[in-house]
Amino acid sequence: MASSSSTLALCSSFSAQCKVSHHQNPLTFPSKSSISLFKPNSLKLASPPILFTKPAFSPVPKVSESESALIEAEFDERAPEPAQVVTATKEDLKREDIYAVVMVGSRQYIVFPGRYIYTQRLKGANVDDKIVLNKVLLVGTKTTTYIGKPIVTNAVVHAVVEEQGLDPKVVVFKYKKKKNYRRNIGHRQPNTRIRIIGITGYQDYPVTTLDS
Amino acid sequence: MNKNEIFKLAKGFRGRAKNCIKIARERVEKALQYSYRDRRNKKRDMRALWIPRINAGTCQHGVNYGNFMHGLMKENIQLNRKVLSELSMHEPYSFKALVNISRNAFPGNKNVVLPTRKVDVSLNV
Repeated sequence: MASSSSTLALCSSFSAQCKVSHHQNPLTFPSKSSISLFKPNSLKLASPPILFTKPAFSPVPKVSESESALIEAEFDERAPEPAQVVTATKEDLKREDIYAVVMVGSRQYIVFPGRYIYTQRLKGANVDDKIVLNKVLLVGTKTTTYIGKPIVTNAVVHAVVEEQGLDPKVVVFKYKKKKNYRRNIGHRQPNTRIRIIGITGYQDYPVTTLDS
Repeated sequence: MNKNEIFKLAKGFRGRAKNCIKIARERVEKALQYSYRDRRNKKRDMRALWIPRINAGTCQHGVNYGNFMHGLMKENIQLNRKVLSELSMHEPYSFKALVNISRNAFPGNKNVVLPTRKVDVSLNV
């Protein structure tokens, strides 16, 4: 697991923009303004329940996504933490078992209803605007998958703009040795936080169903 | 930058580089240069992480990465490697569907002629 945790450390410092909030997992990664990067989610595959259950239901947790790890976390949470069982079941019912891969700002995100993602700054959008994302590349539910070629026609992801903010500061330091050249610049990339509300419109698309 | 900013950036450095300004300043400048360079390297590294992950996922279903990507390109599926690697880890059924699509689109090169192996008959000395 050492190698996986080291790669995760590498990846964890990634992608402010591609963060997907995760109800069960409150680990927060420092965000860096890089393009289309994101954290492979499963830390320590051997012990997801322990990691996920502790911070369980913080209000706006944001961490890497993973539907199956989430499902694992659900089942395991009920055993070790009986005190939080009630809240757990309530939150489970709220979440729909569906996900989509959507392309925003020339980056692709795996998106779950109820969570948020950071994208590039959407210029015309104000806070609490309803947004419709049209470029849906893949929609998956528990039993079926709709694979778009390239997009799933008429599929739409509804989202609400939560916040138009800035990424954490990145220091751009340029230096050439022996030439007396140094430039020190700070940079904060504008971003937009979007909360995903729902995924619709995919039902009529030809389905790829596996027998599982 | 003034000294306090340098020392704040020099946290965790080894030896005098975190305490003494002359040394810390040099090390912090080097660290900032590395971070500039590595912000570009990170993109390469991540791709070099995603591709073997996808490879591992597809090989479980009998298709290698090259043929898999060729099949996807043929079918005009525009999922990028980041998403594909995540799907291969966490959405095994969707990923298997993708592998099947790719396999139908591009079954692989069956006309490959492997070089014949020379059987080495060595004398036991």
